[in-house]
Amino acid sequence: MNKFVAMVGTNAKVSTNRTLLQFMKQHFADQAEIELMEIADLPLFNKPENSPVPAPVLAMAKAIDAADGVIIATPEYDHAVPSSLMNALEWLSHRVHPFVDKPVMIVGASYGSLGSSRAQAHLRQILDSPELRARIMPSSEYLLGHSLDAFDDQGNLKDADKVAQLDGLFKDFQTFVTVSGHLNNAKDLNQKDTKNFDWNKL
Amino acid sequence: MKLVGIAGSVADKSYNRILLKYMATHFSDLADIEMLDIKDVPLFNESDDQTESDAIQYLKRKIESADGVIIATPEHNHTTTASLKSVIEWLSYKIHPLDGKPIMIVGASYYDQGSSRAQLNLRQILEAPGVNAVVLPGNEFLLGEVKNAFDENDNLKDAGTVNFLQSTLQKFVKFVTVINTMKHPQDTGAESEDLGATGKISTTVEGVDMAAPDWVEQAAEKTHAASGNDYVKLDRGLLTVDQLNAFLNSMPLELTYADSNNQFIYYNKMAPAEKMLAARTPDQAGNPLSMVHPKNPRVIKHVKEVIHALRTGQVPEVSMPVPGNNADKYVVHFYRAMHDEQGNYMGVNEYVQDIMPTVKWYLAKTGQKLEGNPDATTSASVDDAAPAADTTSSASVDDAAPEPAPQAAPATDADSSASIDD
Ligand SMILES: Cc1cc2nc3c(=O)[nH]c(=O)nc-3n(C[C@H](O)[C@H](O)[C@H](O)COP(=O)(O)O)c2cc1C
Ligand SMILES: Cc1cc2nc3c(=O)[nH]c(=O)nc-3n(C[C@H](O)[C@H](O)[C@H](O)COP(=O)(O)O)c2cc1C
Repeated sequence: MNKFVAMVGTNAKVSTNRTLLQFMKQHFADQAEIELMEIADLPLFNKPENSPVPAPVLAMAKAIDAADGVIIATPEYDHAVPSSLMNALEWLSHRVHPFVDKPVMIVGASYGSLGSSRAQAHLRQILDSPELRARIMPSSEYLLGHSLDAFDDQGNLKDADKVAQLDGLFKDFQTFVTVSGHLNNAKDLNQKDTKNFDWNKL
Repeated sequence: MKLVGIAGSVADKSYNRILLKYMATHFSDLADIEMLDIKDVPLFNESDDQTESDAIQYLKRKIESADGVIIATPEHNHTTTASLKSVIEWLSYKIHPLDGKPIMIVGASYYDQGSSRAQLNLRQILEAPGVNAVVLPGNEFLLGEVKNAFDENDNLKDAGTVNFLQSTLQKFVKFVTVINTMKHPQDTGAESEDLGATGKISTTVEGVDMAAPDWVEQAAEKTHAASGNDYVKLDRGLLTVDQLNAFLNSMPLELTYADSNNQFIYYNKMAPAEKMLAARTPDQAGNPLSMVHPKNPRVIKHVKEVIHALRTGQVPEVSMPVPGNNADKYVVHFYRAMHDEQGNYMGVNEYVQDIMPTVKWYLAKTGQKLEGNPDATTSASVDDAAPAADTTSSASVDDAAPEPAPQAAPATDADSSASIDD
């Protein structure tokens, strides 16, 4: 069974994106092991020059390393990814590089009707950058609009169509993870590349 | 011009901060640029509202009092930094100091593309509705390979770069002026309306106190005015003054003439003040407009806007229903610009009328009925049925008014229309 890290893309205590990931964890329990990962404990990224990588960052990097893939649920703030998630990704690309070649599935929930579409596009752009180099599942989008009304009291998604869509995408993601496993000829090289990648040396 | 500069970094060393400092010192003849620090701003957290903290209130105050903002963004992972995005989130959550603010984006990066992706992304963020800033279009200033761009005194080495940066800032300064003028259309002249009528036009009667209760008598004597059986030649006809008075005073309208010097020089005294829809008293004739309106600054501002819109031809007519109208009475004040044959502005023709008798007469004659709006109260439904045309013209004056927020709120209209007569 695949093991996935499910990253909650916000530091807020209450989040419909967290609810969505909790639902996925339950709903797909027989297909995969999903562990939620919080980003609230990280300090503000200040591009430290030589201080050691903070412990919570190392722990997160380890968990991602050990996982078969990462699911990220992103809210949308000002038509973009929230700063707390950007912050986590800055830490996770500075002297640690757990995302290199890691299969990633992006989902997102928003209060409005668009379901964080702009934030998801933004997140793709970020994950594609040289120090993250994630393998984002192509041509897929899971947009959960009107997220405040999307769940019942038990935290289950109310709309059957939305559940069916998520089922399909999750299946695709499992396949994508398998396929991605075969694409590892350049992996070591990529990892080395990224480790040696230095914006200072461009 | 006062600008503030924000470098999107909380690192100890930032080339973007150096770039802004360079702009502040080298282009001080173009603008006064003050650097704002974001180091003390905590990472945005919806569950821990820090809007009232000193660091955020400081940014709010500085931004609000500035004419425009320059943001220098580093690029992290093909986007802008979390530290800058966090500041923008705070400034778009409970408070919105960037709303309508002109912003110029610049950026420096180690890479030869010089933060182009971060800048594009930042532009999109700043234009999101919760932020609603006005970003200078085009004119990207990208400083690539920034590690080699400055000399040991933090001066830009390349003269071409300096020139380009300067011309970009010049464009921004113009842009700020244009955007801020658009935001404050009252600056375009309404303020200059002199309701005290201290000016003089060719028909102003000099040497008579405009405030005098017998201004009409005094001014008539001074000008040897026609009266009684004297004939007056008109376009088109010939009447005696008595005939002219009988004619005007039997109009089903209360007429007022305010000349282009904003002096109230005539009304058709058809009834005693207490019987009029808009009370006028004989001693008021001759007064400057400032004397016939309450001193409430909001009212005065609105009167000035109406007159100015008519004087400058922005609208040919303004109409405003008064407060307290109901199903049997619908009093409207109409203001119409008057012009001579050459098209020169001659003042305002104000006529006040209760249009309800006309509406009722028309309905009775044609066997029609007003259709009530089920969502509205009785009087409101009449409101809706009647003055669609009015709303447009009065609204267009309101549009000219500055406040971006409430659109043509009825209360505003009501207050001010009352003003013109109270
Ligand atoms: C500063 C701020 C900006 C926001 N901007 C957006 C936005 O651009 N689009 C949107 O759909 N919701 C916006 N929201 C509202 C919700 O936070 C957003 O829909 C979010 O995706 C909900 O996810 P959550 O329940 O996991 O927090 C914003 C909220 C905040 C606090
Ligand atoms: C985590 C991280 C990610 C970075 N990503 C980028 C990038 O995507 N593009 C780029 O040009 N520089 C990148 N850099 C390098 C510089 O930080 C960047 O060029 C910056 O704009 C330099 O400006 P500053 O001195 O004001 O921080 C990155 C640096 C870090 C620490």
